Amino acid sequence: MIAGGIPLGDVLLASGALFVIGLVGALLRRNAITIFLSIELMMNGANLAVLGYAAALNSVEGQVVVFFVIAIAAAEAAVGLAIFVALFRHTETIDVNRINLLKW
Amino acid sequence: MTATRLVFDAAAALAILFACVMVVHRNPVKSVLALVVSFFALAVAYVLLAAPLIAAIQVIVYAGAILVLFLFVLMLLNVPEEGRQGSSRPIHQVLSGAAILVFGAALLALLRSHGATRAEPAAFSAAGPSDVATTSRLLFSEHLLSFEALSVLLLAALVGAFALARREDQA
Repeated sequence: MIAGGIPLGDVLLASGALFVIGLVGALLRRNAITIFLSIELMMNGANLAVLGYAAALNSVEGQVVVFFVIAIAAAEAAVGLAIFVALFRHTETIDVNRINLLKW
Repeated sequence: MTATRLVFDAAAALAILFACVMVVHRNPVKSVLALVVSFFALAVAYVLLAAPLIAAIQVIVYAGAILVLFLFVLMLLNVPEEGRQGSSRPIHQVLSGAAILVFGAALLALLRSHGATRAEPAAFSAAGPSDVATTSRLLFSEHLLSFEALSVLLLAALVGAFALARREDQA
């Protein structure tokens, strides 16, 4: 399958690489904001795969899905950052190893 | 190798490179700036995948709004650089190692199958369903309900973010 002269394999490879980099970042970093950035990167990896398949299948449906994903990511970023601001006000840190209030 | 593929591969490589910079950099502000570059490169890739509307949204909303919001909060909180001491949990290190291994296996499988199945370069219709009007028409006809639900979600997120970040003594 070819998308505009671009093999689908290239698209999926790039998308997988971005997803894995994001996953590793989300697992290994301890700064809550960097973890959040890594999750955004994982979402972008998924978006790239969706757009690659949409182009390969010559469909517009994939673009609509990615549109919704980006809008939901915007809402999620707003709420997540507000949580970090509130958390920082209470604990003076956003190191996830030191935020253990809800841990049993 | 066509010129389109060359440009796509270059953009993807740039996006992956700056994603790596984002993950390994200790200074969170520089992490955000590296991610901005990565998202711009991804926007180029989206244009080549016949999604100009998504590419514009990627630049305006992701790189322009979401990441600037991150930068804003980082500078508001004055987050220190991550220290070297106190590494992450062992289970997280094992899981990330497993993720890299799985990706490596997928890469190997792809490289091995590359010689076997050589796809014929199909003609790509440039006048196909890739312009903004077609996408918008689909968005505002078939997906109108989801679109309106999305606006309610954004409003809820706005109110929620305001309620969460407000100081308690001003209540």
